[in-house]
Amino acid sequence: MPLYICNSKPGTVSEEAKAKIADDVTRIHCEVTDAPPTFVHVFFFEDGPQKQTMPPLGDKQAMIYGQIRAGRTDAQKADIAARMGAALAHHTGVAADDLLVFTTDTPASWVMEGGDVLPEPGEEEAWLARHNVKMAALKEAAQ
Amino acid sequence: MIHCTCMVQEEQIAPEQEATLRCDTANFAARHFGGGPEFNWVTVGKGNGFTEAQPSNSVIVSLNADRSLAPSARVPLLRELCEIWERGTGLSPNEVVIVIRDPQ
Repeated sequence: MPLYICNSKPGTVSEEAKAKIADDVTRIHCEVTDAPPTFVHVFFFEDGPQKQTMPPLGDKQAMIYGQIRAGRTDAQKADIAARMGAALAHHTGVAADDLLVFTTDTPASWVMEGGDVLPEPGEEEAWLARHNVKMAALKEAAQ
Repeated sequence: MIHCTCMVQEEQIAPEQEATLRCDTANFAARHFGGGPEFNWVTVGKGNGFTEAQPSNSVIVSLNADRSLAPSARVPLLRELCEIWERGTGLSPNEVVIVIRDPQ
């Protein structure tokens, strides 16, 4: 978490553009939130399955739907939407009016990743330090 | 009916693994939430999944609980479901994301 789902009409996002968009989405999320990139997921779909997964595209050519940890400010969410929208437009050549970017909040306490419940926003550094120690110990024990 | 969305990477999970994961997850839901979930199994196509801007090996499992859970109740459930998916996929903890959501 976060999970950013990019859903688009077929042919809108080229194979080459996907890696660039994933790179931009990851960078923007981290710049805006100060979160580490470790657990930023970006998944692409064409006319993706909507049931319980993503909202319908409607009349849009493409959308980025981000499920992020609760606790980000409205200004941060607006910044994420604006900058990711610009990146998506840049890499697809689609007009901004035909794109949609938005986020929804998921409480950190609802999510386990890396075998640990995710930290609240702002507590990532200490969490990641503890997590890395734990993972190193697990790796050593497995050898 | 509770829902469970499982997002996996293409060719990551063999059919027999998928069957075991569905069965173990359904049993988990039945034990803790009173019934098996309706599965929404979503495969992320090759070249379409990225984690940390690199090709992804991550699975993301999102299960809707049948009731609101206190943290003291949710954490052991997260851990149990996480272990089911780590064991069933052979993935590392860093590659397994589990979400247990309160009802909406």
